[in-house]
Amino acid sequence: MPRYVMVIDVERCIGCMACVIACKKENNVADGYFRTRVVEEVRGEFPYLRMELRSELCNHCEIAPCIDACPTRASHRAKDGTVQIEKKKCIGCKACILACPYDARYSTPEGVADKCTFCDHRLKEGKKPACVETCLGHSRIFGDLDDPNSEVAQLLKKHDASVRLEFAGTRPRVFYINKKFAGGL
Amino acid sequence: MSITRRDFLKIVAVTGGVAVAGTPVVKSVLALGKKPVSLPQYVPTTCEMCFWRCGLIAKVVDGKVVKLDGNPLHPNSRGKLCARGHGGIGLLYDPDRLKTPLINTGSRGEGKFKKASWDEALGYVADKMQKIKEKYGAESIALLTHGTVSTYFIHLLQAFGSSNFAFPSFALCRGARDTAFEITFGEAVGNPERVDIQNSKVVVLIGSHLGENAHNSQCQEFAEAVGKGATIIVVDPRFSTAAGKAKYWLPIKPATDLALLLSWINVIINEGLYDKEYVAKYTVGFNEVASAVKEYTPEWAEKETEIPANLIIETARIMGKNRPHVLIHPGRHTAWYSDNVQRQRAVAILTALLGAYGRPGGIYLNPKKKLEPVFLAEKDYPEHQKTAINKGNYPFAGEEGVTHAIVKTTLTEQPYPIKGWFTTGINIIKAMPNQRDTLKAIQKLELLVAVDMMPYDGVMLADVVLPECTYLERHDDLFTVKERAFGISLRQPVVQPMYDTKPGWWIAKELGKRLGLEDYFPWNTFEDFLKMKCETWGIDYSELTKKGYISFPESEKPYISADNEPKFKTPSGKIELYSKELKEKGFDPVPKYTKHEQPPEGWFRLIYGRSPVHTFSRTTNNPSLWELMEENTAWVNAKVAKRTGLKNGEYIVLVNQDGVKSNKVRIKITERIRPDCIYLVHGFSSTSKLLRKAYLRGADDQQLITKYDIDPIAGTVGMRVNFVKIAKEA
Amino acid sequence: MIELSITGTNAITFPHLDVWDWRIVIYLFLGGLSAGMLVMCSIANLRIPKQPVEELAQCVRAPFIAFIVLAVGAQFIIFDLGSPFHLYWGYLTFQPLSLMSWGTWGVPAVLFVNALYILAVIPKDQRHRLRFPFIIKISEKLAPKMRLIAKLNFAMGIFLGIYTGVLLSSFSAIPLWNNATLPILFLVSALSSGAAMIVIIAKKAEIKFLFTKIDIWLIVAELVVIALFFYGLYTSTAPYKKAIEPFFSLTDEHFIFTIALIAIFLLLPLALRIKLGELKEFEDGFHGEFTRAQIFRMNFAAILVLTGTLILRAAIVYAGQLTKLSFY
Repeated sequence: MPRYVMVIDVERCIGCMACVIACKKENNVADGYFRTRVVEEVRGEFPYLRMELRSELCNHCEIAPCIDACPTRASHRAKDGTVQIEKKKCIGCKACILACPYDARYSTPEGVADKCTFCDHRLKEGKKPACVETCLGHSRIFGDLDDPNSEVAQLLKKHDASVRLEFAGTRPRVFYINKKFAGGL
Repeated sequence: MSITRRDFLKIVAVTGGVAVAGTPVVKSVLALGKKPVSLPQYVPTTCEMCFWRCGLIAKVVDGKVVKLDGNPLHPNSRGKLCARGHGGIGLLYDPDRLKTPLINTGSRGEGKFKKASWDEALGYVADKMQKIKEKYGAESIALLTHGTVSTYFIHLLQAFGSSNFAFPSFALCRGARDTAFEITFGEAVGNPERVDIQNSKVVVLIGSHLGENAHNSQCQEFAEAVGKGATIIVVDPRFSTAAGKAKYWLPIKPATDLALLLSWINVIINEGLYDKEYVAKYTVGFNEVASAVKEYTPEWAEKETEIPANLIIETARIMGKNRPHVLIHPGRHTAWYSDNVQRQRAVAILTALLGAYGRPGGIYLNPKKKLEPVFLAEKDYPEHQKTAINKGNYPFAGEEGVTHAIVKTTLTEQPYPIKGWFTTGINIIKAMPNQRDTLKAIQKLELLVAVDMMPYDGVMLADVVLPECTYLERHDDLFTVKERAFGISLRQPVVQPMYDTKPGWWIAKELGKRLGLEDYFPWNTFEDFLKMKCETWGIDYSELTKKGYISFPESEKPYISADNEPKFKTPSGKIELYSKELKEKGFDPVPKYTKHEQPPEGWFRLIYGRSPVHTFSRTTNNPSLWELMEENTAWVNAKVAKRTGLKNGEYIVLVNQDGVKSNKVRIKITERIRPDCIYLVHGFSSTSKLLRKAYLRGADDQQLITKYDIDPIAGTVGMRVNFVKIAKEA
Repeated sequence: MIELSITGTNAITFPHLDVWDWRIVIYLFLGGLSAGMLVMCSIANLRIPKQPVEELAQCVRAPFIAFIVLAVGAQFIIFDLGSPFHLYWGYLTFQPLSLMSWGTWGVPAVLFVNALYILAVIPKDQRHRLRFPFIIKISEKLAPKMRLIAKLNFAMGIFLGIYTGVLLSSFSAIPLWNNATLPILFLVSALSSGAAMIVIIAKKAEIKFLFTKIDIWLIVAELVVIALFFYGLYTSTAPYKKAIEPFFSLTDEHFIFTIALIAIFLLLPLALRIKLGELKEFEDGFHGEFTRAQIFRMNFAAILVLTGTLILRAAIVYAGQLTKLSFY
């Protein structure tokens, strides 16, 4: 079974926000709700400034607090290793939204929990997730970590990578490589 | 009751049989409520959310557009779309769209519209146009236009007998840099700009905020350059996204960019860091330039620009060392001050000195392909009785016209009155500076017609509003794409026009019919014209409709080589570092630095720019893009803000030097801007009540631009000359 | 200066979590109250019988009211669900790591055991009020097993009291809740509110007095545990230090939590003071009747305790959602 991960090359993100809206269109996300976002962080004092553009999304953690919190198994791990929500089982208790340290989840107007699915409907057709497909900077890179020839495997071999909130112990599958700047996570 | 074994087996068998037979029945009964899932259709076309015009592929399910993706074949998109591109769905299904023709029943500009049929509206327009022609002459009809709708209305206007048209993109945007490059290299720098960023070792952005200016393929290449470790040098009074990627951010004092450029040229010449062979072979006027820049030392420039001299020298050396793979971005919106062309000339000269024109990482050469022009009609346009006024008296004004020349002529009625305006695909309130002049000018008209998709501010002023359908619902002329290779891009309808909207070609043709100009629209539908055009050009139309883009890879010859010598269409046949043309017309042949007015104490220079999720005022109401950015903010330096005691996000009002007050806008207290400027993203605070999401959200920078400079060389304007003060919300 | 600009936030998680509201607060309060009452009733039945306790043991009102309280409380959490019609899926599986799952199964279980307890404890002469013959039959069958059912009931009460706390503490993403002290705090608070409720509903003054005495210990324990709760967070890492800031803030937006904390530390000790005052009067032992004023004071102290418990739950539920593990 593949081990899907996303590698985000932070210095290549130019903050075009195409990923934020492409995801919405691909997955028919309701107005006012988002499955991914871009954080623009600027530090320093004029004129010594540093900027990081960082996209954030569901990390499809290997130890997922949301799966643990779900009483009906609506939030579960699919066969391909990604964390998915079976909407028909979701009772809308919102425990998973509270459990997620990454603010990846939200409650839809229909009353069920929702989040990034790594576009599993596209993965099945051999396509990449919508955000990755449209990323102008080629900053979001997606693939099978178990395939040594994949771009993600190569990048993680060559560069130091960090994850968000590592101390939370969730073992995320979204890695950030940042060849120039330090910190900001 | 006891059951025998036999009975038991019977029961099991019957139950089993019913279960097996009944399951499909049950399944189909359960499925009765569900709709069958249709297979999606994929239709390629060309985007028009901005003017990069990326190829896209639309996904249509049951007649509804559900997703837009980049066409991998098109060089401007390369399989990707920016946020605006994806937001096309928001435009298509925006409930605030214009739905029917409208006729104003109130006074000029009142916007008291009643719905009208196409017959009624077009008849009204044609009637008025004939009256104006009889009384004042056909030339008294002028056209302010932008986008693909221009094709049809310029054609109609010229068939009618006038050539008084102007695109805002010349005088208000790219005109200066195209003029400067034409004078220097003999041709404009192109749209898309022929910048070979992905191969650059050094990228210099002076007055470009690439990244926030989301030009798809150029952003992709910029990210590629960053990823490859190119040295980015950004010159900007504001810490833009590009500055965030830069090794050097030079927070230049506004209006002194020419000083920096001339000083860089000074250093590069003095230290011999220019491409000597290239200069000797391809340029004229080096000595004149060398002596002209002698006075522009880094120490002198430091006083003007507030950039330390050692930084000026260091960055010049980096450029020189990495020649010729250096890109000095030619700029796009270059309408800043009264010396725009001279400033962009300095950019062009610097490019030439580094040998970057026609070399990898610099400016690549045009693809080698030419197709014979195919006109909308074979019939000649009628002779003009009067000289066109659309170029003003600017000797180097481009063919696209000068917008303020039309406004001025309308106001002064010299040399003759302009009595009718068509505004097609342009928001005259947001695009043109000094809104007061615009509002005065339209009062002089006897006819004001707007052709557009949304009820923008400018559209609300019209007598007649003709609703054009969106780019997803129409055919438009074939796009000749001159990227590295030459290509043809198609725009075709993805869905049928919604409501009672019509494509631009239909509107022009129907209006033409009512003006007796049918002969100028000999084709039945525009698709007939496109098919004919393809046939003339030897292109397979059906292949084009399936692929959306056809490329001619053999035309790609981007760099100078032994079998690809460049031809410069200048008077001397070479790159003119020193321009005799300019000298002959009375202008400086080599750029000279002039000081521009700086804001007095307590005032700030108003500067403006773009957002990656919006295209000026076109998209501020788009529901999909509005939820990414609902309003703009006024960027104020943190130390300055501290003195005012304002809190981040608080609403303020900006007042300019003429006392004009802006709409309330949230303050963004930031370290990312110099203390002497305030920055706004352009295009916000619509005054149109019909744009329910955009109405009075944020502040309109154009409203505060009541003063503007004019560059006498080509008539391009300078809009960065207004000063503002902060006032607490009124 | 850190400048943060985020495109694509959801209102439910930004600028702070806004997920659970007063519905959950009331559920936690009523759940805790019910738990406390069940424990108190069960203790009464498991002690060596003494005069007033015997009478309590035969009192059905307490467990009955506990049943109503929990049933009503459960309505509030069901009311909070986004898709209550999917609730049956919760009964097709059990997720041992999900506290919601423990609640889905546990609350009906508590109600069931509580119902058995009511049937077991109902006095012979009141049994006819059960109306339905088969219920009366069950009641007759259960009565001899009363001690066993009381033990079960006690366990259920403890479970419910702890469960409401562990429900919150299981969220590692919420620093204010994610600690070992919270379940203890909620249990003690639940028992205290249970005792206070019994003081209010008891008809006999002696019962009121007994549980007033019991509640003294529980209030003291509660105050100690609250202090430990805050101290434990203060001595933990950055997000946990930040999580208690609203309770000690003097700025406008979070001042209400400081007020809540002050209220808790006023109401509970005041109730304590009143109860101790009562106690002092009867140092030499109880003789005769209570005056109306004394009864009023005991009821009043109980109401203060209930109010304090409610404020505590509300403050913790709302303040918890103000601080996340991430710094923005």
